[in-house]
Amino acid sequence: MAQNDSNTKDMILSLNSIEVLYDSVLLAIKGVSVEVPRGGMVALLGSNGAGKSTTLKAISGLLKAERGKVSRGEIKFDGKLIGDILPQDRVALGICHVIEGRRVFDHLTPDENLEAAAPISMSRAKIKSEKERMYEYFPRLAERKSAQSGYLSGGEQQMLAIGRALMTQPRLLMLDEPSLGLAPFLVAEIFGIIQRINKEQGLSVLLVEQNAVAALEIVSHGYLIENGRVVMHDTAGALKENSDIQEFYLGGGEGKNFHEIKHYSRRKRWLS
Amino acid sequence: MDWIFLSELTVNGALTGLLYSLVAIGLVLIYKSSAVPNLAQGALTMTGAYVVLAFSHNLGWPLWVAIPLAAVIMFLLGMGIERVALRRLAGRPIVMILMMTMGIDIFLRGTTLAIWGGSSRSVNLGVSYDPFFLGDMLLSRIHIVGAAVAIALFVGFLLFFRTRLGIRLRAISDDYLASWSIGISVERGVGLSWGLASVVAVATGVIWGEVQGVDQSLSVLLLKGLTVAVLGGLDSIVGAIVAGIILGILESVGADFLDPFVGGGSRDLIVAAVLILTVMIRPHGLFGRHDIERV
Ligand SMILES: Nc1ncnc2c1ncn2[C@@H]1O[C@H](COP(=O)(O)OP(=O)(O)OP(=O)(O)O)[C@@H](O)[C@H]1O
Ligand SMILES: [Mg+2]
Repeated sequence: MAQNDSNTKDMILSLNSIEVLYDSVLLAIKGVSVEVPRGGMVALLGSNGAGKSTTLKAISGLLKAERGKVSRGEIKFDGKLIGDILPQDRVALGICHVIEGRRVFDHLTPDENLEAAAPISMSRAKIKSEKERMYEYFPRLAERKSAQSGYLSGGEQQMLAIGRALMTQPRLLMLDEPSLGLAPFLVAEIFGIIQRINKEQGLSVLLVEQNAVAALEIVSHGYLIENGRVVMHDTAGALKENSDIQEFYLGGGEGKNFHEIKHYSRRKRWLS
Repeated sequence: MDWIFLSELTVNGALTGLLYSLVAIGLVLIYKSSAVPNLAQGALTMTGAYVVLAFSHNLGWPLWVAIPLAAVIMFLLGMGIERVALRRLAGRPIVMILMMTMGIDIFLRGTTLAIWGGSSRSVNLGVSYDPFFLGDMLLSRIHIVGAAVAIALFVGFLLFFRTRLGIRLRAISDDYLASWSIGISVERGVGLSWGLASVVAVATGVIWGEVQGVDQSLSVLLLKGLTVAVLGGLDSIVGAIVAGIILGILESVGADFLDPFVGGGSRDLIVAAVLILTVMIRPHGLFGRHDIERV
Protein backbone atom coordinates (compact mmCIF):
# COMPACT_ATOMS: atom_id res chain seq x y z
CA MET A 1 0.00 0.00 0.00
CA ALA A 2 1.97 2.98 -1.22
CA GLN A 3 0.80 6.04 0.59
CA ASN A 4 2.19 8.42 -1.93
CA ASP A 5 -0.27 7.41 -4.61
CA SER A 6 -2.16 10.40 -3.45
CA ASN A 7 -5.57 8.92 -3.47
CA THR A 8 -6.62 11.52 -0.93
CA LYS A 9 -10.14 10.16 -0.77
CA ASP A 10 -8.85 7.22 1.21
CA MET A 11 -7.10 9.49 3.67
CA ILE A 12 -9.01 10.39 6.80
CA LEU A 13 -6.32 12.91 7.64
CA SER A 14 -3.84 14.75 5.52
CA LEU A 15 -1.42 17.44 6.57
CA ASN A 16 0.05 19.39 3.72
CA SER A 17 3.34 21.16 4.59
CA ILE A 18 2.15 22.73 7.77
CA GLU A 19 4.17 25.19 9.79
CA VAL A 20 3.48 26.00 13.42
CA LEU A 21 4.48 29.15 15.23
CA TYR A 22 4.43 29.51 19.01
CA ASP A 23 4.10 33.03 20.41
CA SER A 24 4.31 34.37 16.83
CA VAL A 25 8.08 33.83 16.78
CA LEU A 26 9.08 30.27 17.56
CA LEU A 27 8.84 28.06 14.49
CA ALA A 28 8.34 24.61 16.00
CA ILE A 29 7.13 22.78 12.87
CA LYS A 30 8.71 23.59 9.55
CA GLY A 31 6.66 22.00 6.83
CA VAL A 32 5.27 18.67 7.92
CA SER A 33 3.19 16.49 5.64
CA VAL A 34 1.53 13.42 7.09
CA GLU A 35 -1.28 11.21 5.88
CA VAL A 36 -3.41 8.73 7.77
CA PRO A 37 -5.44 6.29 5.67
CA ARG A 38 -9.03 5.66 6.65
CA GLY A 39 -9.02 2.80 9.11
CA GLY A 40 -5.22 2.84 9.20
CA MET A 41 -2.67 3.08 11.97
CA VAL A 42 0.25 5.44 11.54
CA ALA A 43 3.08 6.34 13.91
CA LEU A 44 4.96 9.61 14.33
CA LEU A 45 8.38 8.88 15.74
CA GLY A 46 11.16 11.17 16.86
CA SER A 47 13.19 12.30 19.81
CA ASN A 48 12.48 14.94 22.44
CA GLY A 49 11.49 18.33 21.10
CA ALA A 50 11.17 17.05 17.53
CA GLY A 51 7.69 18.49 17.16
CA LYS A 52 5.50 15.41 17.50
CA SER A 53 3.16 16.82 20.11
CA THR A 54 2.99 20.12 18.28
CA THR A 55 1.86 18.28 15.16
CA LEU A 56 -0.95 16.59 17.09
CA LYS A 57 -1.97 19.89 18.68
CA ALA A 58 -2.17 21.47 15.25
CA ILE A 59 -4.59 18.73 14.22
CA SER A 60 -6.75 18.86 17.35
CA GLY A 61 -6.66 22.65 17.57
CA LEU A 62 -5.23 22.59 21.08
CA LEU A 63 -2.42 24.87 19.89
CA LYS A 64 -4.86 27.64 20.56
CA ALA A 65 -4.53 27.03 24.29
CA GLU A 66 -0.76 27.50 24.10
CA ARG A 67 -0.65 30.55 21.90
CA GLY A 68 0.46 28.49 18.96
CA LYS A 69 -0.81 28.86 15.42
CA VAL A 70 -0.67 27.00 12.12
CA SER A 71 0.99 29.68 10.00
CA ARG A 72 1.21 27.80 6.73
CA GLY A 73 -0.09 24.68 5.05
CA GLU A 74 -3.43 22.94 5.33
CA ILE A 75 -5.01 20.27 7.48
CA LYS A 76 -7.73 18.15 5.94
CA PHE A 77 -9.92 15.79 7.91
CA ASP A 78 -12.21 13.59 5.90
CA GLY A 79 -11.58 15.77 2.85
CA LYS A 80 -12.53 18.95 4.66
CA LEU A 81 -10.24 21.82 5.67
CA ILE A 82 -10.42 22.13 9.44
CA GLY A 83 -7.85 24.86 10.14
CA ASP A 84 -10.45 27.41 11.25
CA ILE A 85 -12.60 25.10 13.33
CA LEU A 86 -12.67 25.36 17.13
CA PRO A 87 -11.13 22.48 19.09
CA GLN A 88 -14.47 21.39 20.56
CA ASP A 89 -16.01 21.31 17.07
CA ARG A 90 -13.14 19.17 15.80
CA VAL A 91 -13.97 16.67 18.52
CA ALA A 92 -17.55 16.68 17.30
CA LEU A 93 -16.26 16.00 13.77
CA GLY A 94 -14.52 12.89 15.09
CA ILE A 95 -10.96 13.86 16.01
CA CYS A 96 -9.86 13.09 19.52
CA HIS A 97 -6.44 13.81 20.93
CA VAL A 98 -5.20 11.96 24.00
CA ILE A 99 -2.72 14.54 25.23
CA GLU A 100 0.71 13.82 26.61
CA GLY A 101 1.02 12.84 30.24
CA ARG A 102 -2.32 11.04 30.86
CA ARG A 103 -4.13 14.11 32.03
CA VAL A 104 -7.17 12.49 33.62
CA PHE A 105 -9.47 14.62 35.74
CA ASP A 106 -7.85 13.86 39.09
CA HIS A 107 -10.74 14.83 41.33
CA LEU A 108 -13.37 13.01 39.31
CA THR A 109 -13.96 9.28 39.48
CA PRO A 110 -13.12 7.19 36.40
CA ASP A 111 -16.85 6.88 35.80
CA GLU A 112 -17.21 10.67 35.83
CA ASN A 113 -14.17 11.05 33.60
CA LEU A 114 -15.89 8.89 31.00
CA GLU A 115 -19.19 10.68 31.46
CA ALA A 116 -17.60 14.11 31.03
CA ALA A 117 -16.43 13.12 27.57
CA ALA A 118 -19.77 11.87 26.25
CA PRO A 119 -21.14 14.21 23.59
CA ILE A 120 -23.97 16.44 24.85
CA SER A 121 -26.39 14.87 22.40
CA MET A 122 -25.72 11.32 23.59
CA SER A 123 -28.66 9.65 25.33
CA ARG A 124 -28.46 8.31 28.87
CA ALA A 125 -28.79 4.74 27.64
CA LYS A 126 -26.03 5.19 25.07
CA ILE A 127 -23.71 6.73 27.65
CA LYS A 128 -24.28 3.75 29.86
CA SER A 129 -23.58 1.22 27.13
CA GLU A 130 -20.52 3.17 25.97
CA LYS A 131 -19.15 3.21 29.50
CA GLU A 132 -19.72 -0.54 29.68
CA ARG A 133 -17.79 -0.91 26.43
CA MET A 134 -14.85 1.00 27.94
CA TYR A 135 -14.93 -1.17 31.06
CA GLU A 136 -14.89 -4.21 28.83
CA TYR A 137 -11.79 -2.93 27.05
CA PHE A 138 -10.14 -1.99 30.32
CA PRO A 139 -11.43 -4.27 33.10
CA ARG A 140 -9.03 -2.70 35.60
CA LEU A 141 -10.98 0.53 35.31
CA ALA A 142 -14.23 -1.22 36.11
CA GLU A 143 -12.81 -2.34 39.42
CA ARG A 144 -11.88 1.20 40.35
CA LYS A 145 -14.66 3.16 38.73
CA SER A 146 -15.61 5.02 41.91
CA ALA A 147 -12.10 5.83 43.14
CA GLN A 148 -10.52 9.24 42.73
CA SER A 149 -8.78 9.15 39.38
CA GLY A 150 -5.79 11.01 40.76
CA TYR A 151 -4.97 7.93 42.82
CA LEU A 152 -5.04 5.45 39.95
CA SER A 153 -1.76 3.89 38.83
CA GLY A 154 -0.01 5.27 35.77
CA GLY A 155 -1.26 2.44 33.60
CA GLU A 156 -4.83 2.81 34.82
CA GLN A 157 -4.70 6.55 34.17
CA GLN A 158 -3.49 5.97 30.63
CA MET A 159 -6.30 3.50 30.07
CA LEU A 160 -8.76 6.00 31.47
CA ALA A 161 -7.41 8.76 29.24
CA ILE A 162 -7.88 6.50 26.21
CA GLY A 163 -11.32 5.34 27.32
CA ARG A 164 -12.32 8.95 27.90
CA ALA A 165 -11.20 9.84 24.39
CA LEU A 166 -13.14 6.91 22.94
CA MET A 167 -16.30 8.20 24.67
CA THR A 168 -16.24 11.16 22.26
CA GLN A 169 -16.92 8.67 19.43
CA PRO A 170 -13.83 9.54 17.40
CA ARG A 171 -13.09 8.39 13.89
CA LEU A 172 -9.46 9.43 14.29
CA LEU A 173 -7.77 8.78 17.62
CA MET A 174 -4.48 10.55 18.26
CA LEU A 175 -2.34 9.24 21.08
CA ASP A 176 0.62 11.19 22.42
CA GLU A 177 3.20 8.85 23.94
CA PRO A 178 0.78 6.48 25.66
CA SER A 179 3.63 4.13 26.62
CA LEU A 180 5.61 6.72 28.55
CA GLY A 181 6.70 5.38 31.92
CA LEU A 182 4.68 2.18 31.69
CA ALA A 183 5.89 -1.38 32.20
CA PRO A 184 6.23 -3.36 28.95
CA PHE A 185 3.32 -5.67 29.77
CA LEU A 186 1.04 -2.66 30.22
CA VAL A 187 2.23 -1.15 26.95
CA ALA A 188 1.44 -4.46 25.27
CA GLU A 189 -2.00 -4.53 26.87
CA ILE A 190 -2.85 -0.98 25.85
CA PHE A 191 -1.49 -1.32 22.32
CA GLY A 192 -3.38 -4.59 22.00
CA ILE A 193 -6.66 -2.86 22.81
CA ILE A 194 -5.93 -0.04 20.37
CA GLN A 195 -5.22 -2.59 17.68
CA ARG A 196 -8.40 -4.46 18.49
CA ILE A 197 -10.56 -1.33 18.28
CA ASN A 198 -8.85 -0.44 15.02
CA LYS A 199 -9.76 -3.85 13.58
CA GLU A 200 -13.26 -4.13 15.02
CA GLN A 201 -14.47 -0.57 14.59
CA GLY A 202 -12.27 0.72 11.81
CA LEU A 203 -10.95 3.46 14.06
CA SER A 204 -8.06 5.37 12.43
CA VAL A 205 -5.10 5.93 14.72
CA LEU A 206 -2.23 8.40 14.71
CA LEU A 207 0.25 7.31 17.34
CA VAL A 208 3.08 9.47 18.64
CA GLU A 209 5.82 7.45 20.26
CA GLN A 210 9.42 7.52 21.33
CA ASN A 211 9.09 3.80 21.94
CA ALA A 212 9.53 2.96 18.25
CA VAL A 213 9.96 -0.73 18.84
CA ALA A 214 6.50 -1.10 20.34
CA ALA A 215 4.86 1.38 17.99
CA LEU A 216 6.18 -0.21 14.80
CA GLU A 217 4.64 -3.51 15.84
CA ILE A 218 1.12 -2.20 15.50
CA VAL A 219 1.18 0.50 12.80
CA SER A 220 1.37 0.07 9.05
CA HIS A 221 3.39 3.23 8.36
CA GLY A 222 5.69 5.49 10.27
CA TYR A 223 7.00 9.03 9.95
CA LEU A 224 10.18 10.15 11.54
CA ILE A 225 10.23 13.77 12.71
CA GLU A 226 13.37 15.61 13.59
CA ASN A 227 13.70 19.32 14.29
CA GLY A 228 10.22 20.08 13.09
CA ARG A 229 10.59 18.25 9.78
CA VAL A 230 9.64 14.84 8.47
CA VAL A 231 12.95 13.24 7.65
CA MET A 232 11.76 9.74 6.83
CA HIS A 233 8.53 8.06 5.93
CA ASP A 234 8.05 4.42 5.17
CA THR A 235 6.16 1.24 5.97
CA ALA A 236 6.57 -0.10 9.47
CA GLY A 237 8.37 -3.14 8.12
CA ALA A 238 10.94 -1.07 6.26
CA LEU A 239 11.46 1.23 9.23
CA LYS A 240 12.10 -1.73 11.50
CA GLU A 241 14.80 -2.96 9.16
CA ASN A 242 16.36 0.48 8.88
CA SER A 243 19.80 0.47 10.45
CA ASP A 244 19.60 4.07 11.68
CA ILE A 245 16.38 3.43 13.49
CA GLN A 246 17.85 0.30 14.97
CA GLU A 247 20.99 2.11 15.98
CA PHE A 248 19.07 4.95 17.52
CA TYR A 249 16.44 2.98 19.35
CA LEU A 250 18.52 0.05 20.42
CA GLY A 251 20.80 2.41 22.23
CA GLY A 252 23.80 2.04 19.90
CA GLY A 253 23.62 5.73 19.01
CA GLU A 254 25.52 6.87 22.10
CA GLY A 255 23.43 10.00 22.44
CA LYS A 256 23.61 10.74 18.75
CA ASN A 257 20.75 12.55 17.14
CA PHE A 258 19.28 11.49 13.85
CA HIS A 259 20.63 14.44 11.96
CA GLU A 260 24.10 13.55 13.20
CA ILE A 261 24.04 10.17 11.55
CA LYS A 262 25.72 10.77 8.27
CA HIS A 263 24.29 8.36 5.77
CA TYR A 264 20.95 9.00 7.28
CA SER A 265 20.73 12.55 6.00
CA ARG A 266 21.54 11.42 2.49
CA ARG A 267 18.49 9.22 2.41
CA LYS A 268 16.07 11.53 4.08
CA ARG A 269 13.13 12.65 2.10
CA TRP A 270 11.89 16.14 2.49
CA LEU A 271 8.24 15.83 2.02
CA SER A 272 7.55 19.48 2.38
CA MET B 1 -19.35 32.46 82.14
CA ASP B 2 -23.00 32.56 81.19
CA TRP B 3 -23.65 29.41 79.17
CA ILE B 4 -26.91 30.57 77.70
CA PHE B 5 -25.28 33.77 76.55
CA LEU B 6 -22.32 31.90 75.15
CA SER B 7 -24.50 29.47 73.21
CA GLU B 8 -26.55 32.39 71.95
CA LEU B 9 -23.37 34.06 70.70
CA THR B 10 -22.28 30.80 69.11
CA VAL B 11 -25.54 30.11 67.31
CA ASN B 12 -25.98 33.68 66.14
CA GLY B 13 -22.36 33.69 65.06
CA ALA B 14 -22.89 30.52 63.07
CA LEU B 15 -25.99 32.00 61.43
CA THR B 16 -24.15 35.19 60.48
CA GLY B 17 -21.28 33.04 59.26
CA LEU B 18 -23.64 31.17 56.93
CA LEU B 19 -24.61 34.54 55.52
CA TYR B 20 -20.94 35.12 54.74
CA SER B 21 -20.96 31.67 53.16
CA LEU B 22 -23.50 33.01 50.64
CA VAL B 23 -20.90 35.45 49.37
CA ALA B 24 -18.23 32.77 49.49
CA ILE B 25 -20.30 30.31 47.43
CA GLY B 26 -20.39 32.83 44.59
CA LEU B 27 -16.62 33.24 44.80
CA VAL B 28 -16.07 29.49 44.88
CA LEU B 29 -18.24 28.87 41.81
CA ILE B 30 -16.06 31.14 39.70
CA TYR B 31 -12.80 30.03 41.28
CA LYS B 32 -13.68 26.39 40.68
CA SER B 33 -14.10 26.79 36.96
CA SER B 34 -11.41 29.33 36.18
CA ALA B 35 -9.08 29.69 39.18
CA VAL B 36 -9.96 33.38 39.36
CA PRO B 37 -10.79 34.98 42.73
CA ASN B 38 -13.57 37.29 41.62
CA LEU B 39 -12.99 40.59 43.40
CA ALA B 40 -16.28 41.87 42.00
CA GLN B 41 -18.43 39.36 43.90
CA GLY B 42 -19.34 41.96 46.54
CA ALA B 43 -20.33 44.48 43.91
CA LEU B 44 -22.31 41.80 42.07
CA THR B 45 -24.16 41.08 45.32
CA MET B 46 -25.01 44.76 45.70
CA THR B 47 -26.06 45.00 42.06
CA GLY B 48 -28.29 41.97 42.52
CA ALA B 49 -30.01 43.68 45.43
CA TYR B 50 -30.49 46.90 43.46
CA VAL B 51 -31.97 45.06 40.48
CA VAL B 52 -34.50 43.40 42.81
CA LEU B 53 -35.35 46.83 44.25
CA ALA B 54 -35.74 48.27 40.77
CA PHE B 55 -38.58 45.83 40.14
CA SER B 56 -40.10 45.69 43.60
CA HIS B 57 -39.88 49.36 44.61
CA ASN B 58 -39.53 51.39 41.42
CA LEU B 59 -42.03 49.31 39.44
CA GLY B 60 -43.98 48.06 42.44
CA TRP B 61 -43.96 44.41 41.41
CA PRO B 62 -44.25 41.76 44.10
CA LEU B 63 -41.01 40.18 45.36
CA TRP B 64 -41.92 36.75 44.04
CA VAL B 65 -41.78 38.26 40.56
CA ALA B 66 -38.93 40.70 41.21
CA ILE B 67 -36.46 38.19 42.64
CA PRO B 68 -36.67 35.54 39.90
CA LEU B 69 -36.62 38.24 37.25
CA ALA B 70 -33.53 39.79 38.85
CA ALA B 71 -31.95 36.32 38.94
CA VAL B 72 -32.45 35.96 35.18
CA ILE B 73 -31.05 39.43 34.49
CA MET B 74 -28.07 38.88 36.75
CA PHE B 75 -27.42 35.50 35.16
CA LEU B 76 -27.17 37.23 31.79
CA LEU B 77 -25.05 40.02 33.28
CA GLY B 78 -22.64 37.46 34.75
CA MET B 79 -22.36 35.59 31.46
CA GLY B 80 -21.91 38.93 29.70
CA ILE B 81 -19.10 40.03 32.00
CA GLU B 82 -17.25 36.79 31.33
CA ARG B 83 -17.82 37.07 27.58
CA VAL B 84 -16.84 40.71 27.21
CA ALA B 85 -14.22 41.27 29.89
CA LEU B 86 -12.64 37.98 30.91
CA ARG B 87 -12.61 35.63 27.96
CA ARG B 88 -10.05 37.70 26.12
CA LEU B 89 -7.74 37.47 29.13
CA ALA B 90 -7.61 33.66 29.13
CA GLY B 91 -4.04 32.52 29.50
CA ARG B 92 -2.82 35.93 30.70
CA PRO B 93 -1.07 36.31 34.03
CA ILE B 94 -3.45 36.01 36.96
CA VAL B 95 -2.59 39.56 38.07
CA MET B 96 -4.17 40.94 34.90
CA ILE B 97 -7.32 38.95 35.51
CA LEU B 98 -7.45 40.07 39.14
CA MET B 99 -7.10 43.68 38.06
CA MET B 100 -9.94 43.15 35.61
CA THR B 101 -12.28 41.82 38.31
CA MET B 102 -11.28 44.80 40.44
CA GLY B 103 -12.12 47.08 37.53
CA ILE B 104 -15.52 45.39 37.26
CA ASP B 105 -16.02 45.94 40.98
CA ILE B 106 -15.34 49.66 40.65
CA PHE B 107 -17.48 49.86 37.54
CA LEU B 108 -20.47 48.20 39.21
CA ARG B 109 -20.17 50.39 42.30
CA GLY B 110 -19.95 53.52 40.19
CA THR B 111 -22.90 52.51 38.04
CA THR B 112 -25.17 51.61 40.94
CA LEU B 113 -24.23 54.83 42.73
CA ALA B 114 -25.05 56.88 39.64
CA ILE B 115 -28.41 55.17 39.14
CA TRP B 116 -29.67 54.67 42.69
CA GLY B 117 -27.71 57.21 44.71
CA GLY B 118 -26.09 56.75 48.08
CA SER B 119 -29.05 56.53 50.43
CA SER B 120 -29.88 53.22 52.03
CA ARG B 121 -33.06 51.41 51.00
CA SER B 122 -34.73 48.43 52.55
CA VAL B 123 -35.88 45.29 50.80
CA ASN B 124 -38.98 44.66 52.94
CA LEU B 125 -38.72 40.95 52.61
CA GLY B 126 -41.57 40.59 55.08
CA VAL B 127 -39.59 38.60 57.61
CA SER B 128 -40.78 39.55 61.07
CA TYR B 129 -38.45 41.34 63.45
CA ASP B 130 -40.20 39.84 66.46
CA PRO B 131 -37.77 38.09 68.76
CA PHE B 132 -37.46 34.40 68.18
CA PHE B 133 -36.54 32.18 71.06
CA LEU B 134 -34.90 28.81 70.68
CA GLY B 135 -35.00 27.52 74.23
CA ASP B 136 -33.54 30.46 76.07
CA MET B 137 -31.56 31.75 73.12
CA LEU B 138 -32.65 34.88 71.32
CA LEU B 139 -32.16 34.53 67.55
CA SER B 140 -32.75 36.77 64.58
CA ARG B 141 -35.36 35.50 62.13
CA ILE B 142 -33.78 37.02 59.04
CA HIS B 143 -30.51 35.37 59.92
CA ILE B 144 -32.28 32.03 60.19
CA VAL B 145 -33.85 32.59 56.78
CA GLY B 146 -30.48 33.58 55.32
CA ALA B 147 -28.76 30.55 56.81
CA ALA B 148 -31.49 28.33 55.37
CA VAL B 149 -30.94 29.88 51.94
CA ALA B 150 -27.20 29.21 52.26
CA ILE B 151 -27.82 25.59 53.19
CA ALA B 152 -30.31 25.20 50.34
CA LEU B 153 -27.84 26.61 47.83
CA PHE B 154 -25.17 24.36 49.25
CA VAL B 155 -27.31 21.25 48.81
CA GLY B 156 -28.46 22.44 45.41
CA PHE B 157 -24.91 22.88 44.15
CA LEU B 158 -23.79 19.55 45.60
CA LEU B 159 -26.52 17.90 43.55
CA PHE B 160 -25.80 20.07 40.52
CA PHE B 161 -22.17 19.04 40.49
CA ARG B 162 -23.29 15.42 40.12
CA THR B 163 -25.29 16.13 36.96
CA ARG B 164 -23.76 15.81 33.50
CA LEU B 165 -23.36 19.57 33.22
CA GLY B 166 -21.92 19.76 36.73
CA ILE B 167 -19.43 16.99 36.01
CA ARG B 168 -18.26 18.94 32.97
CA LEU B 169 -17.76 22.06 35.08
CA ARG B 170 -15.72 20.05 37.57
CA ALA B 171 -13.71 18.63 34.69
CA ILE B 172 -12.96 22.17 33.53
CA SER B 173 -11.80 23.11 37.00
CA ASP B 174 -9.52 20.06 37.06
CA ASP B 175 -7.84 20.49 33.70
CA TYR B 176 -8.56 23.03 30.97
CA LEU B 177 -6.49 21.42 28.27
CA ALA B 178 -7.81 17.92 28.89
CA SER B 179 -11.35 19.35 28.85
CA TRP B 180 -10.74 20.94 25.48
CA SER B 181 -9.24 17.72 24.19
CA ILE B 182 -12.51 15.86 24.74
CA GLY B 183 -14.68 18.56 23.25
CA ILE B 184 -15.88 20.39 26.34
CA SER B 185 -16.49 24.03 25.58
CA VAL B 186 -14.36 25.51 28.34
CA GLU B 187 -15.38 29.09 27.59
CA ARG B 188 -19.05 28.29 27.87
CA GLY B 189 -18.44 26.45 31.13
CA VAL B 190 -16.64 29.41 32.64
CA GLY B 191 -19.38 31.71 31.37
CA LEU B 192 -21.98 29.49 33.03
CA SER B 193 -20.15 29.67 36.34
CA TRP B 194 -20.18 33.50 36.16
CA GLY B 195 -23.89 33.32 35.44
CA LEU B 196 -24.51 31.04 38.41
CA ALA B 197 -22.35 33.15 40.72
CA SER B 198 -24.41 36.18 39.71
CA VAL B 199 -27.64 34.35 40.53
CA VAL B 200 -26.18 33.50 43.93
CA ALA B 201 -25.39 37.22 44.22
CA VAL B 202 -29.12 38.00 43.94
CA ALA B 203 -29.97 35.68 46.81
CA THR B 204 -27.09 37.09 48.83
CA GLY B 205 -28.05 40.67 48.01
CA VAL B 206 -31.65 40.18 49.08
CA ILE B 207 -30.71 38.60 52.41
CA TRP B 208 -27.98 41.07 53.26
CA GLY B 209 -30.09 43.94 51.93
CA GLU B 210 -32.74 42.92 54.44
CA VAL B 211 -30.15 42.66 57.22
CA GLN B 212 -28.34 45.95 56.75
CA GLY B 213 -30.20 47.86 54.03
CA VAL B 214 -29.26 48.22 50.38
CA ASP B 215 -26.49 50.70 49.80
CA GLN B 216 -22.89 50.85 48.67
CA SER B 217 -21.64 49.17 51.83
CA LEU B 218 -23.05 45.85 50.56
CA SER B 219 -20.08 45.59 48.21
CA VAL B 220 -17.72 45.46 51.22
CA LEU B 221 -19.15 41.99 51.91
CA LEU B 222 -16.46 40.87 49.49
CA LEU B 223 -13.91 40.96 52.32
CA LYS B 224 -15.85 38.62 54.58
CA GLY B 225 -16.76 36.40 51.63
CA LEU B 226 -13.16 36.23 50.47
CA THR B 227 -11.95 35.36 53.96
CA VAL B 228 -14.47 32.54 54.20
CA ALA B 229 -13.65 31.30 50.71
CA VAL B 230 -9.90 31.30 51.41
CA LEU B 231 -10.37 29.56 54.75
CA GLY B 232 -12.61 26.98 53.08
CA GLY B 233 -10.13 26.41 50.30
CA LEU B 234 -11.39 28.66 47.45
CA ASP B 235 -12.64 25.80 45.31
CA SER B 236 -14.75 23.90 47.80
CA ILE B 237 -18.47 24.50 48.30
CA VAL B 238 -18.34 22.40 51.47
CA GLY B 239 -15.41 24.55 52.56
CA ALA B 240 -17.43 27.72 52.00
CA ILE B 241 -20.14 26.46 54.35
CA VAL B 242 -17.88 25.09 57.07
CA ALA B 243 -15.52 28.06 56.97
CA GLY B 244 -18.48 30.46 57.10
CA ILE B 245 -19.73 28.84 60.28
CA ILE B 246 -16.23 28.86 61.81
CA LEU B 247 -15.56 32.49 60.94
CA GLY B 248 -18.99 33.56 62.16
CA ILE B 249 -18.51 31.85 65.52
CA LEU B 250 -14.95 33.10 65.96
CA GLU B 251 -16.10 36.60 65.17
CA SER B 252 -19.05 36.68 67.49
CA VAL B 253 -17.59 34.82 70.46
CA GLY B 254 -14.13 36.29 69.97
CA ALA B 255 -15.40 39.85 69.73
CA ASP B 256 -17.42 39.44 72.89
CA PHE B 257 -14.32 38.22 74.64
CA LEU B 258 -11.88 40.78 73.20
CA ASP B 259 -13.96 43.92 72.92
CA PRO B 260 -13.70 44.85 76.63
CA PHE B 261 -9.91 44.76 76.34
CA VAL B 262 -9.48 46.72 73.12
CA GLY B 263 -12.48 48.96 73.50
CA GLY B 264 -14.56 47.53 70.63
CA GLY B 265 -13.99 46.91 66.95
CA SER B 266 -12.25 43.58 67.34
CA ARG B 267 -14.53 41.84 64.79
CA ASP B 268 -12.56 43.10 61.85
CA LEU B 269 -9.32 42.22 63.59
CA ILE B 270 -10.52 38.64 63.99
CA VAL B 271 -11.46 38.44 60.33
CA ALA B 272 -8.08 39.86 59.35
CA ALA B 273 -6.28 37.42 61.63
CA VAL B 274 -8.16 34.46 60.12
CA LEU B 275 -7.34 35.57 56.58
CA ILE B 276 -3.68 36.24 57.29
CA LEU B 277 -3.14 33.09 59.32
CA THR B 278 -4.86 30.92 56.70
CA VAL B 279 -2.66 32.25 53.94
CA MET B 280 0.43 31.81 56.09
CA ILE B 281 -0.26 28.44 57.64
CA ARG B 282 -2.61 26.62 55.34
CA PRO B 283 -2.72 28.37 51.97
CA HIS B 284 -5.02 25.76 50.42
CA GLY B 285 -7.53 26.24 53.21
CA LEU B 286 -9.48 23.60 55.06
CA PHE B 287 -10.88 21.77 52.05
CA GLY B 288 -8.94 23.18 49.13
CA ARG B 289 -7.29 20.68 46.89
CA HIS B 290 -4.64 22.71 45.11
CA ASP B 291 -2.07 24.98 46.54
CA ILE B 292 -3.21 28.45 45.78
CA GLU B 293 0.23 29.78 45.09
CA ARG B 294 -0.64 30.28 41.42
CA VAL B 295 -3.04 33.05 42.51
N1 LIG C 1 3.77 25.96 24.31
C1 LIG C 1 4.94 26.14 23.69
N2 LIG C 1 5.46 27.38 23.56
C2 LIG C 1 6.65 27.55 22.93
N3 LIG C 1 7.37 26.57 22.40
C3 LIG C 1 6.91 25.31 22.49
C4 LIG C 1 5.68 25.03 23.14
N4 LIG C 1 5.47 23.70 23.09
C5 LIG C 1 6.51 23.18 22.44
N5 LIG C 1 7.38 24.15 22.06
C6 LIG C 1 8.62 23.93 21.32
O1 LIG C 1 8.33 23.32 20.10
C7 LIG C 1 9.26 22.30 19.80
C8 LIG C 1 8.56 20.98 19.60
O2 LIG C 1 7.97 20.59 20.81
P1 LIG C 1 7.02 19.32 20.94
O3 LIG C 1 6.42 19.35 22.28
O4 LIG C 1 6.10 19.29 19.79
O5 LIG C 1 8.07 18.13 20.82
P2 LIG C 1 7.84 16.57 21.00
O6 LIG C 1 8.34 15.94 19.75
O7 LIG C 1 6.47 16.28 21.38
O8 LIG C 1 8.84 16.24 22.17
P3 LIG C 1 8.69 15.21 23.39
O9 LIG C 1 9.02 13.87 22.86
O10 LIG C 1 9.69 15.68 24.37
O11 LIG C 1 7.30 15.31 23.89
C9 LIG C 1 10.25 22.27 20.95
O12 LIG C 1 11.39 23.00 20.56
C10 LIG C 1 9.54 22.98 22.06
O13 LIG C 1 10.44 23.67 22.87
MG1 LIG D 1 5.61 15.56 23.04
